[in-house]
Parts: sequence; structure tokens; C-alpha cells
Amino acid sequence: MSQVNSDLIDRLAGLTPADTSYAIRQQRGKVALATQGSYDAIFEPSLADLSLAERLLVALYVCQLTPAAELAAHYRDQLLAAPVFGALNPQVAAMVRGGEALSADAVTEQRLHAILHFARVLIENPIDGDKRLLHSLPAAGLTTAAIVALAQLIAFLSYQTRLLAGLRAMKQLAAQSDVAAVGGAECTP
Amino acid sequence: MSTVIKAHGFTNESLEWSAWLDIVELASASAEQLAVLEESHPKAKTSDYYRLLVHQAKILRERSTAFNAIMYAPGGLPRAERELGATVTSRINGCVYCASVHAQRFEQLAKRSDTVVQVFEDPLTAGTSNRERAIAAFSVALTRAPDAIDSNEIAKLKAQGLSDLEVLDLIHSVAIFAWANRLMLNLGEPVFPS
Repeated sequence: MSQVNSDLIDRLAGLTPADTSYAIRQQRGKVALATQGSYDAIFEPSLADLSLAERLLVALYVCQLTPAAELAAHYRDQLLAAPVFGALNPQVAAMVRGGEALSADAVTEQRLHAILHFARVLIENPIDGDKRLLHSLPAAGLTTAAIVALAQLIAFLSYQTRLLAGLRAMKQLAAQSDVAAVGGAECTP
Repeated sequence: MSTVIKAHGFTNESLEWSAWLDIVELASASAEQLAVLEESHPKAKTSDYYRLLVHQAKILRERSTAFNAIMYAPGGLPRAERELGATVTSRINGCVYCASVHAQRFEQLAKRSDTVVQVFEDPLTAGTSNRERAIAAFSVALTRAPDAIDSNEIAKLKAQGLSDLEVLDLIHSVAIFAWANRLMLNLGEPVFPS
């Protein structure tokens, strides 16, 4: 089994078996597997009540807001390539195709507006996400199962963006140390 | 029982949590939902939190596996310091429920509460040693602005003696509470002792 190609975090962090940080991450292999497993479960195409297009759109928006550039690019590519892309609200599809920054306020369709507004509050200031905000979702036609999937998606993205940022910084430091070590060796008589 | 600490709306008292949406009734739960509840937490079947999340059982199963592996795996960052990362993250995000649970865990593991007082008072300067201050400062930075984390932030942790595995454990702890806080804050509310 090729962990390097199948693990999204390793791929986006540029971690290969040649990296120290890759080996360190493998020491917590159970976490790596459950991280990928969470991603797979959250983006499972057949998941009920919240369409894959809606989920990928939320992911793109959250990564634009965080910001997390590589993940935003990943989710935009996934969304553009998905068979469900054609089913997306035309106004929003045009924003995605044009590579624009999404805006909850610019989306007029009630369901999609409620979803994106909820995502923005949870990312920018989660303390403001009160009962009234949550109840705007069933009012816009979302089932409880859809709302739980949406909240898990947004919360998972908060985890994924931080894990990726941390691993990239670890890899960056390891690369600097390698350069310093080589330099040191050359100076040793 | 330890001394009660209260500051800025945070507390180390034991709290309950109440969902704002309908939870899964055990009598109508599927076999898969019941199995995931049993795997997730010893008290999951009587918890609003787990019974709400089990509306999406497959996602909960993966999340619980990640959470338990991050917080309880042997070796690496001492468990009290993982709880410190969790408590600082919860304090920054404003999650009173998570801060209460993980402040108590820190106290149980470290057998002291001085750091908790500091985290509740001002997480930006919290820590009773240089190592604790570096852990708290990193937790604040990764919580607030993940895109600004670079090799300098990692170097500051290593300068206080953290190994690579300990750094990864801290990143995992802060990241999993970015996740947990948003569920606890946005799907229900803490219930305070009467």
C-alpha cells in the first residue's frame, strides 16, 4: 500500500519517506490513518442530506477564509472535477470557475447562504455561533443529519488546516537543519 | 476535589452539556450507531454530545479514533502537556466546556493547578516554566493564525527541549481541539452546576 500517494496531508505537506517528519508522523500512524479516514468519511459521495457539491464548496470557502492556500486549491480542483459540479447554483459555480473569493453575503439562494454563513462564523469567531445561528439551518431546509455533517466538516477543516501548517513548518525546520549539518561537516577539518 | 478556579467566564468545575438539536434515541439507533457510541467514550450512550454526533456514525467513528490516539497514546509529549495545549486552545476559542474538562485533566496529571489559573487569566503569557510558556504560546499561535506558523515557531519549542515527536503531539493536540471546540460551541451549550 502506498501511503505517500494515498495520504492527502503527506501529499500537500510534501512529506515522503526520505523526510524526517514523515518518519515522525508514522510514529503516530493511528492518527494519520484516522485523519485520512475522517476526510474519506466526510467527503463520501453517498453521504445523505448534504450534497458533495455543498461539502466541497464549504471546504473551499473555509480554506479561503482561514487562509490555507494549498488546501483551498485542492478543494477547488475537486469541486471543478466533480460530476456534481453542474448541479451547483449557477451564480456560485461562476465564482468558483473564475477563481474568485467566495462570499456568503453574495449568495442569494437561502439554503446555500445559510450554510456558508454558518461556516464563516465557525471559522472566524466560533464563540458567536449560538443557538439562533444553528437554528437558521433547519429553517433553510437542512435535516439534523445534514447539520451534523456540516458541523463535522467545518470543524474537521479547522483541524486539517492546522495539522498541515504544523507539519509544513516541521519539514521547513528539518530542511534548514540538514543544510546547517552539511555546512558544518564541510567546515570540519 | 481540587480548588474551584473561576476567571473570565471559565471554570474548572465539572459541567454538563446540552444539545440544541434532536439527539439519537437509543431505542431507534442502528446497530452501527450503537457500536460507534460504545467505541467512542465509556459514557457516550448517556451523553447528548455523542448522541447528536452519531447521526453521522462513520464520521464520529473516525473522529473518536483520532481524538483518543492523540490524547492517550503512550510516549512522546507528556499527557499533562497535551492537556495544556487543549486547555489553551479552548481558552482562546472561548469553549468553556472543553476548557473545564481539560483543565481538570491537566490538574489530575500534573497534580497542580497553578498553570490552569494562568491560562484562564491570560493564555498569552501562561506557563510556570519556559517550557510551559513555549507550549502555551505555540498553542495560541497555531489556533489563531495557522498560515503564519513557520520553522521559527517549531525552533522555539525545540529550544525548550521538545523532541520532534513531542512537537507533533502538540500540533495534534491543538488541531484536534480546533475541531472539538467548534462542535461543543456551536451544536449546544454547557450546563453549569446549580
